[in-house]
Amino acid sequence: MQPGVNQLRESSVKSTSQSAVVHIGGANTGNAAPRIGVFFLHDGAESPASGELSELAAYASHLPGVVVVRTIAVSSALDPAALAIELRQAGVNTVVLAAERPGFYKPAFSRALALAGSNGEQLRLASFAQRGDRATADRAILASAVQGVPFTAIAEPAPASFNTATLVIGGGVAGIQAALEIAESGHKVYLVERTGTIGGRMAMFDKTFPTLDCAACILTPKMVAVSQNPNIELLVLSEVEAVTGSFGQFKVKVLKHATRVDASACVACGDCAHFCPVTASSEFDVGIASRKGIFIPFPQAVPNTYMIDPAYCTWVLSGGKKCGACAKKCSKGAVHLDAKDESVELEVGNIIVATGYDVLDARRVERYGYGAYPNVLNSLEFERLTNASGPTGGKIVMKTKKLNKKTKTEEWVFEPDGPKPKSVAIVHCVGSRDRNFNSYCSRVCCMYSLKFAHLVREKLPEAKCYEYYIDMRAFGKGYEEFHERIREEGVFLVRGRSASVIERDGQLYIHGEDTIAEHLITLPVDMVLLSVGLQPSHGSAELASQLGIPTDGDGWFRELDYNSEPNSTGRQGIYVAGVCQGPKDIPDTVAQASAAAAHALRSIVGASARQHVENVPPTPITEIAGSPARS
Amino acid sequence: MAVRANPDLIDELQQFGAKDAVKCYQCGNCSAACSHSDDPYVFPRKSMRYLQMGLEKPLRSALDPWLCYYCGKCSEQCPRGAEPGETMMGVRRWLTAEYDFTGLSRLLYRSFRSELAAVLTVALLTGLGFLSYGFLRGGGNISVYDGPGAFLPVHAIHTFDWTMGIILGLLLFINCLRMWKFTMRNQNALPVSLSLYVRNLLLLPLHFFTQKRFRHCENKTPWANHLVLMLSYLTMLTLIMVFLKDMQSGPAINWYAHAFGYLSAIGLVATTIYAVRGRLKKDAAYHRHSHESDWMFLGLLLFVSVTGIIQHILHRVGLPMAANITYIVHLMGVVPMLALEVPFSKWSHLAYRPLAIYFAQLQQAAQAEGALPLGRPAKPQPVA
Repeated sequence: MQPGVNQLRESSVKSTSQSAVVHIGGANTGNAAPRIGVFFLHDGAESPASGELSELAAYASHLPGVVVVRTIAVSSALDPAALAIELRQAGVNTVVLAAERPGFYKPAFSRALALAGSNGEQLRLASFAQRGDRATADRAILASAVQGVPFTAIAEPAPASFNTATLVIGGGVAGIQAALEIAESGHKVYLVERTGTIGGRMAMFDKTFPTLDCAACILTPKMVAVSQNPNIELLVLSEVEAVTGSFGQFKVKVLKHATRVDASACVACGDCAHFCPVTASSEFDVGIASRKGIFIPFPQAVPNTYMIDPAYCTWVLSGGKKCGACAKKCSKGAVHLDAKDESVELEVGNIIVATGYDVLDARRVERYGYGAYPNVLNSLEFERLTNASGPTGGKIVMKTKKLNKKTKTEEWVFEPDGPKPKSVAIVHCVGSRDRNFNSYCSRVCCMYSLKFAHLVREKLPEAKCYEYYIDMRAFGKGYEEFHERIREEGVFLVRGRSASVIERDGQLYIHGEDTIAEHLITLPVDMVLLSVGLQPSHGSAELASQLGIPTDGDGWFRELDYNSEPNSTGRQGIYVAGVCQGPKDIPDTVAQASAAAAHALRSIVGASARQHVENVPPTPITEIAGSPARS
Repeated sequence: MAVRANPDLIDELQQFGAKDAVKCYQCGNCSAACSHSDDPYVFPRKSMRYLQMGLEKPLRSALDPWLCYYCGKCSEQCPRGAEPGETMMGVRRWLTAEYDFTGLSRLLYRSFRSELAAVLTVALLTGLGFLSYGFLRGGGNISVYDGPGAFLPVHAIHTFDWTMGIILGLLLFINCLRMWKFTMRNQNALPVSLSLYVRNLLLLPLHFFTQKRFRHCENKTPWANHLVLMLSYLTMLTLIMVFLKDMQSGPAINWYAHAFGYLSAIGLVATTIYAVRGRLKKDAAYHRHSHESDWMFLGLLLFVSVTGIIQHILHRVGLPMAANITYIVHLMGVVPMLALEVPFSKWSHLAYRPLAIYFAQLQQAAQAEGALPLGRPAKPQPVA
């Protein structure tokens, strides 16, 4: 314990004994003047540094109405009875709780106030978590709680100049939604996307749960709207490199990798790809199909432009000596093989982070044999397989062995006329809710697994489908009904996490305990789908340090307050939207993206309103009639 | 009939070392990962559930815990850190206490102080007893180790060994009878005919001497280690119970007896040190947690082995008085170890494990014969 805090305790005890003589029973009268007790609570870890704390406590003792200031290091549960005695002795009828997250201690103090004979509702919270990066705001937070004024009503220090442009990092459905909200209200948006197209994960999906709508039918109109909105400047193949400045005037350095194709000239005819001699596995099809060295991620990509992958391009790899077929064949002259990466600097007032997620690498959970057995697929692979724009045209088939003519090796590939699986097992919670991998629930897997079961049963009515689940988390609107529907469709739900997948004589077996029947079951199946969990997309930690925003223990970007500020981060002017803040489904992602846009718009509109006020000449105010005299 | 739940069961089991069973969310990964778990004995998840729900009676009548050898695969894969392997270990300790009719086992397992006090008391009594016997009824001269006029004559030790052996055997036998009652005569158990009991009787020595089920675990090292320890222990026990005279005569080395003695001494010390090292390093799941009784067991075993070796050496190098004193110190370890561990603690599993395998086999044989559980009417009532 720091000496300053000890001193403070003693002084508070003194004031306690004095007031105890004067104010016995005074706390019972309902309309008495507020006698405020300020309680600083900390658990040692997350609180202002102790030196700052004692300074803050000294400041609190001079605020009007404050009779007691106490600092409590909370190590175990607070005892309301002991607190009540203290409150009663000091005649305190109003309590201010000052802490990082004071709401946590509210029940104990509310009870203590009631036990002391006061109104349990006379409780105000000073949450230091609200300060964000404004280190000087602690006093203001405290003072407003003591006065009973919401902190957010206090005018924020306006930046000297405010840039109304917004940067959105990540072009998935969250980034698209946020960009459209802001752009359509007339403000500039820079949308930075790492891959060659916007659309993100949702563009890869076949159907959405629980409505079974076609994902592309929802997303592609929004993608087109982005490409057509003059307020949105889209930067694909681009990555944020450095962020400087502060709220209202961020300077962001963005590295734009060269697509080597002129977007204004390219008409996406595909002649270049036709003549390109190299193939690589398609990122958009998560490796279950191939693409050329010059490619478009998928036919509806935005921007609808071909691009060159320098890691595979013969011309690039040979230093311009070989090939160059695409440039020769392009009738529009759009291919510029020698284009260079460039670095651009953007100036923006707000930043919305919407970087989404990666799926867990299922090879880490060795006992499911992902990577070793060809017909054990992860969820994204199945999404592409069952998608009408996927390699089999949406037919659910097993992989077949095929000779690769170039490498002269046999490979397992999906062919549209491949054999149909007669039974499919879906394993929930692969790497989720598991201390050895990700201990959190990824939230979407139960529902997308049910969706998979539906798609299997719909496309292959002969096939048996088994779901191995631990708990069925159908928490959203219409989700439980969806769960019931899939059950009625004849899917076998096995309550128990499967422990392993093995292959014997070319037949896959899935082994697990049916915990309801209390039997071990070994089931021959043709295909196993692993419902892998979500984790922060690669590079999230670097981005967090560039932006100066905290992440939580699992690597997701940390929101300012779980309940009241789920879009804001610890840094003013930087907001989060979508899965990068924590696993969530599409409806929640879209809602949060709109909310993040609202935050950005509030500051943009607020800034212009302030400029308006500043332009009005001030009227001298001498006295306000009826203002309460300060004691 | 509904089963009565005992909500305090899980707290009770915590004292026996089953600490993390509350964390279990019943995914069943452990049961499927286990190489021993198979219908109808599916574990450890079911035992974890019994614990969480306080289903004391089903847990007491379960054979599952004795079919587990704690290779630790379940604990390694457990997504919740619920330590199913350690829970099964704790349940085995609890079952040992449940089978024990004297209640001593419960006391020794739940309180390390009591265990320590019991060991020290028995050790002290042993020391005093042998010293006074040596001076009053024995040779009377502590400088004589063997032959006529020995301080502790072989026949006296022999009589003492056999008396203790019979008493301990009787206690263990009563506990085994209680185990039979709990596991074979409960409501859900199937009635087993006498002929089945007789026909399968060979299973007992088979599993006792080979521990071949243990070998099914993926990691074979614990099985090998355990087998060496058990065979060394049995060899030593046989030498002492039957060939004590040859063991004690000297100072020449009687190779036909001592050769076995040396082998088993090496086996005992090596395996004990291996186990202590593993428990200190905590490098395998089955060594991560150590109950006080585990340390007491290993400590006594090491103490007894080392003092036994020392008294043997002292006798051979011609220091009879030192050998006699070390011998008494050795006995002060042997007697508490056997008296407390065999019927009431860890050693009892030498009997319970083969019995459980035997009983499980009998139940499966009875099921194959179409027997109905004891708690149900012999014939299904015809529907009117």
